[in-house]
Amino acid sequence: MQLSSRTYEADSISAVQELYHSNGWTDGLPIVPPTADAVQACLDWVMMPPDQLIGIEPVRGLAITAEKLAVNAVMAGCLPMHFPVVVTAWTAMMQEPFLMHGATASTGGCAVLVVLNGPIRHEIGASGGFNALGNSDRATATIGRAIRLCLINLMDVRPGAIDRSTLGHPGKFSYCIAEDEEDSSWLPLHEQRGVERAASSVTVMAAGAPRQIMNEWTTKPEEILETFAAEMRANLRHYSIHPGNYALIIPKQLREHLQAARWTKTDIANFVHERARIHRREWADVGKGAVVRDRGDSVYPAMESPDQLLVVAAGGPAGGFGAVIPPWLGNKSHAVTLPMGVCIDCEPPKA
Amino acid sequence: MTFHVLDPTAEKTAPLGQAAPRLDTLKGKTVGFISNGKEGTKGFFRHLEQILREEYGVAKVVSRTKSNYSAPADAPIAAEIKQWDAMISGIGD
Repeated sequence: MQLSSRTYEADSISAVQELYHSNGWTDGLPIVPPTADAVQACLDWVMMPPDQLIGIEPVRGLAITAEKLAVNAVMAGCLPMHFPVVVTAWTAMMQEPFLMHGATASTGGCAVLVVLNGPIRHEIGASGGFNALGNSDRATATIGRAIRLCLINLMDVRPGAIDRSTLGHPGKFSYCIAEDEEDSSWLPLHEQRGVERAASSVTVMAAGAPRQIMNEWTTKPEEILETFAAEMRANLRHYSIHPGNYALIIPKQLREHLQAARWTKTDIANFVHERARIHRREWADVGKGAVVRDRGDSVYPAMESPDQLLVVAAGGPAGGFGAVIPPWLGNKSHAVTLPMGVCIDCEPPKA
Repeated sequence: MTFHVLDPTAEKTAPLGQAAPRLDTLKGKTVGFISNGKEGTKGFFRHLEQILREEYGVAKVVSRTKSNYSAPADAPIAAEIKQWDAMISGIGD
């Protein structure tokens, strides 16, 4: 089947860049020219025709096809082997509980955090080690960027258009990590959320910027996790009291103390659920006294239940650091985890 | 070297609803307000209601608030709209 996208002609690589920038089709960085061959290679890899319907965005009713995701994935620098992740992430984003329109249009300025689990991480070289939340590797960098370029070009999520973010954050360029499953005794995130361990999986969460913590001065799980909980309380005080999905990124150094004490992800979530909560009157301490009203004694937990906490093993081997990734706006958007499609009696084309 | 490159946009627009017939006058009409629930809508809609009633002779104002300010209006609110002559949706940012 023929690709249906309109084709443009450009005389040089510079002309390609100017064409895409001047039309508002980029994130401000140079793009890889999305030629028909490159786009077709992505479609071949997932064995989808160009007009395969990936989903319909629930609020505005826009149909998202495999071809259009592939054009943007190529622009972002994705290789064909990265494309199944982009397709699965977008399928997850279009699930109603994710509330893609609200999350990507909001003044709150969140980004789509993508967490990879399962064998796909090794197949594409996605690293959950050094610099996990930064520029750790090619796969996560380009996949995260593809998510954003698709939003820009398919949903008009451009700054000042559908994207009404007051500030945004750097994760809006790319915000994709892989879990370090091998160096952890914990259940991987996808298994914790009901997907078979052997299945490759993608989790999406409407997420604020990471808030880094440090505690190198204890080995006690309660004390380590109190630091994470304190950062969540700070978010409840300074940003938003809405409860919802929080993610904790726990690198090896702190992870080893927790695992040595035999704390599971469930234990962590139960402890943090009890500790990460504030009284409404605390807002008066941070300049928000006007909204305390007569409800100062009301208690606001960061999560409605422990299972809203996404605990992810990732990060370099040294350093007593960790990160709290807060939700865009509590339960208005829910994290979605989907297994990636597999074909058991066929294989992708040879590269 | 000449590059042949593809359009990354949707190239199709989402289906739009039809605009309701325009009103000749607001006098004696029912106007519905749909607030997204943010604080800033309260004073704004109070003031707007006063203007509509006193200066334009609107007979009735119905105020509704969405349960999620980032999502479309709840189904019961959307179902009510057909009973109104005009509707004003407002966000409080």
